[in-house]
Amino acid sequence: MAALICEVVYRGIFQKNLAARITRGIVLSARKSGRWGIAFGRYGDSPQRNGIPAKDFAIVADTKEELEQNMARYEPKHVDVTIAVDDTLSKGVESWAWYGLQPINRLTVPNGTLLMTSLQSYDSLLQDIHKKDAPYKLALIRAKASFSGLWVYREDHTEVRILGALAKIAPSFLTLQGVGEAIRESEWGSDLKVDSAKKAYERLESRDVTMTEGNAEIPYSFEMPKWWEMREGVTIPAIPVGKPKEAGKGYVPERNPYFKKFTTRTMRPVVNFDTCVKCTLCWIQCPDSCFDVMPDGTYDANMEACCGCGVCEAVCPVENCITMVNESVFDDNASQWEMWRKDKQTYQAWMAEKIGDKNATVRSHGFRFRGQYEKELEKNFEGGGAEITAGIPGENAQHKEG
Amino acid sequence: MAETTTFGNATQILEPFRGVKRVTIEEYFTSGHRTCQGCESALVMKLMVKASGPRTIVLGSTGCMYVANTTYYTTPWVVPWMHTQLGSSGSAALGTAAGLKALMRKGKMKSEPINVIAFCGDGGGADMGLGAISATLTHKEYNSLILLYDNESYANTDIQLSGMTPYGANTTFSPPGKVKRLIHTRWKKNMAGLMAAGHPECRYVATVCASYAVEMMNKVRRALTIGGPTFIHSLDPCPKGWDYDPMLSHELGELAIETGIFPLYEVEDGQVKYYGKTKAIVEGRARKPVREYLLKQGRFAHFVEEDLDYFQAKVDEMWEKWEIPAVVPFRRLDATRAALSAK
Amino acid sequence: MAVVTPAAPAATEEDKELLISGSEAVAEALTLADLDVVTAYPIRPYDTVMQAIAKKISGGQLVAEYIVAEGEHSQFEIVKHASTVGARVFCGSSGVGWMYAMECLVVTPPLRVPMVALVGNRALDDPGAFGVEHNDALVVRDVGWMLCWIDTSQEALDTTLIAYRVAEDRRVFLPLAISADGAFLTHSQALTMVPPKSKVDRFLPRYDRGDLLLHPDNPITVAPQANEDWVIEIRRQNYEAMARAVTVIDEAYADFRRVFGRGPENPWFEEYMADDADVILVGMGTISLPIKVAIRELRAKGKKVGLVRLRWFRPFPTERLVAALSRAKAVGVIDRDYSFGSPFGSGVVANEIRAALYNAERRPPLLSFICGLGGREVTLEDVYKATDLCYAAATSGKSDPKTHWLGVRE
Repeated sequence: MAALICEVVYRGIFQKNLAARITRGIVLSARKSGRWGIAFGRYGDSPQRNGIPAKDFAIVADTKEELEQNMARYEPKHVDVTIAVDDTLSKGVESWAWYGLQPINRLTVPNGTLLMTSLQSYDSLLQDIHKKDAPYKLALIRAKASFSGLWVYREDHTEVRILGALAKIAPSFLTLQGVGEAIRESEWGSDLKVDSAKKAYERLESRDVTMTEGNAEIPYSFEMPKWWEMREGVTIPAIPVGKPKEAGKGYVPERNPYFKKFTTRTMRPVVNFDTCVKCTLCWIQCPDSCFDVMPDGTYDANMEACCGCGVCEAVCPVENCITMVNESVFDDNASQWEMWRKDKQTYQAWMAEKIGDKNATVRSHGFRFRGQYEKELEKNFEGGGAEITAGIPGENAQHKEG
Repeated sequence: MAETTTFGNATQILEPFRGVKRVTIEEYFTSGHRTCQGCESALVMKLMVKASGPRTIVLGSTGCMYVANTTYYTTPWVVPWMHTQLGSSGSAALGTAAGLKALMRKGKMKSEPINVIAFCGDGGGADMGLGAISATLTHKEYNSLILLYDNESYANTDIQLSGMTPYGANTTFSPPGKVKRLIHTRWKKNMAGLMAAGHPECRYVATVCASYAVEMMNKVRRALTIGGPTFIHSLDPCPKGWDYDPMLSHELGELAIETGIFPLYEVEDGQVKYYGKTKAIVEGRARKPVREYLLKQGRFAHFVEEDLDYFQAKVDEMWEKWEIPAVVPFRRLDATRAALSAK
Repeated sequence: MAVVTPAAPAATEEDKELLISGSEAVAEALTLADLDVVTAYPIRPYDTVMQAIAKKISGGQLVAEYIVAEGEHSQFEIVKHASTVGARVFCGSSGVGWMYAMECLVVTPPLRVPMVALVGNRALDDPGAFGVEHNDALVVRDVGWMLCWIDTSQEALDTTLIAYRVAEDRRVFLPLAISADGAFLTHSQALTMVPPKSKVDRFLPRYDRGDLLLHPDNPITVAPQANEDWVIEIRRQNYEAMARAVTVIDEAYADFRRVFGRGPENPWFEEYMADDADVILVGMGTISLPIKVAIRELRAKGKKVGLVRLRWFRPFPTERLVAALSRAKAVGVIDRDYSFGSPFGSGVVANEIRAALYNAERRPPLLSFICGLGGREVTLEDVYKATDLCYAAATSGKSDPKTHWLGVRE
């Protein structure tokens, strides 16, 4: 390899600073072994939006000429290492309209590496990650996904763990020693962080993935029109108004077919239709108009449209009627209301299993008060966070324990 | 459709929704926009056209509600929608309304009242486009609503401060540093009060928050029904710019009002009317301390006690010293006289 | 709701002869065209047209929404939006006022808004001079505006009608700026034939925005945000529209001549004694007047000099102009504009003509002159000097390409 191209696939804004630290860290670490490099965000992602998948890149090369070959493009066509810092991105990413659903390993070269932070098993992940037409390696750092925001950063050492892992994956470009030096010199570095990088290097798990393993679904894609097929005047048709759900009752909006947005979510709402009091608040307060109005007056969160903000759980006045649950424990976007209508008992059992999962109901992200991240990291620092089994610190906690 | 004639203009008669169950079920701003998780401004767009109904034309100036909604070459809009320039919401409203009126007057287009709504962010409205909005509010012969959605920054360009950014907030133009903790020490412009005080022939100015959805939609309907140019200022918690867990978007809207930082009121034909928790505050209910609201947001994580005290004092002033609390910052006439005679 | 129509004039097919300024001529044309929305903002020298329109409205001859804006940016944005809902619109400005509207000016071509604007050419600040210079209008030459220059009241009236016919043609749908030198707009009253409405109605169809109309019966989203996957295709569409404008302009003038019984055979430029000329001078606008006087004097002395007064600058009439100019032994382009740092320091028109001649079989020597900036008169002496230099080049067959500044105190 004369050049090493890495992409960091991450949740926009929540992991923006993390991705920047990683890509800059890659370049500065490689510099220690005399290499040249650049780090850049993908222009099309900007401005980033909370949760919408984005990409940053780091390219290092032995010579300046090799480096230049990879510059002045918006996005590399192939990468040696794909780094995904939220394992729910394994289901594929849709970064903007007409982008389609792109598998997480789409750009990874044959025999390249997909590196993820995840607590899931390989089997579980490979149910979500799409099949690739070439073999590759799946490397895992055992940790919770690290989320922050624009102004307050969660210092859980994820960025240095990734760098440590890369030293194992691409030793001819990043040495562990180089990584350590770069960490010490950086604004956010410390000796403790150097240790974390070393631990990640030692504990990295990796296994080969063959062409037959993975999610067999064909992800959706779009073909762009030619200039003479496009209406003039920068004009496109509006979305048609929606229709009733069934027999003139209820309502299902038509939605933008070119941008579904469901790959934005890390958690999804699970609805208890039996306890719903039809207050309409979830439906009316959802910024994404996700809720389809059912003929019986309850509301079904449409999983093709939901981006996982959690406002519905916050406004629902009934305990445990809407519960946010981590995306990783779901296999598809099937309608919960249809499941419930078909067989209420089976649905209740399914629902109880999901919302009773203490790990899956831990709130994945979001700043709530000063000192929150430090508090979360007090215990189980190495796993990337305290073993908080309450859904949200201080909120409905008593209903989610035990 | 029922029409009312005001200033010789027909408008649609949009009765207020009597409770949340009577709200229009259709979506005229639908799913599939590239906004942040928990984006209250997107919620405002949804509620705005849910309230206005389908016989509406929307003009959207540059900002999050342009770029995020239509990235790239796509749309979540069901009603006709057109982009306009950053400082052009006033001109877009005026031009669209004037065009429709000219054509209908001359029989070149079927006559019917069509809602014209132009929206702007706090950057496009309170800063760049202030002049154009002001001009439009003087044209009583054209019906339009200008809605300013305020997420308290130039959010689309990755969060820079505007004339509506709160004191001391962290933005990419006001990052707290070792030498200067607060770069931004200007107090937020009082947009709604400014528009109401400065345009005597503008019949309707109101403030809204999407956390109180039915009230917000009813104010939009009132603005579109009353006739002439109207203005609404909406406060929109912004999980990206304010740095908080998106699921708190609804709660923060309520807290902004409960702390008295953002007042809910309308001015109709010069008459001020307070709403909801704001009304309770005017009638004597204690305001929640501002720190309860500020410290839930990462953009104030660098605040020290001195900053919180200052913020509280300025908010106290709005309620204790202003002649019309939280609406216009003039002092009572007798207090002014007393001050002058004391010199 | 009562439909309002303007007071109908007596039915007649006769033209009326009026003694009016260029501004008033434009106002006559707009009245005949049944303008719907116009916005005004004061800046010299264009705004006399807005004063003339105001009189037409208060006098009841024209029914239109007349809005006084609070600045040029708003002024142009207002009519841009009125046009998208199907209204026929008019606007205008001069100098830095036109610059203040620039954000709107650049978006109207991709939005395919057929706005017609009058630019009363005026020097750009600083200093704040009111005299004629062409740079203001020329600034939009790359972004998709059609541009033409007029220099008589008759041309002002006729070109305004033609402008709507061309701009609002669905094959085109591009904005059009009519440039006029300030002086003749405001100070010259000339005999002008004003046609009856019946003729105008046969020439100018209604503005029909078709599937681009912004109206609840045609739900569309106009101008969603785009990235590198879309922009070049959008630009390509504008390229095509401007190319189609050439045919539409030829058609429009041919139809104009048929309906009104007058008008130039060649829409693109006026030729004055250019057929057999050794030296052809080229210019735009009222610079033609002193040049014509000088040409008559020179011809009396046996010098065969001619003038090509360029009417249309965008779309640029490349082939026809090259055919007209290649016959000459030397060409002198007199720019009433500047382009600092351009090739040879030449003005805009000179460099465009150089480019047009680049592939011509016969390329006469081309001299570039800058003259008459900021309203400075172009004198006969200036023209003689230019002609002398052109003759020298014609004789030697070569020219020094450096730009000559005429009439500067030095």
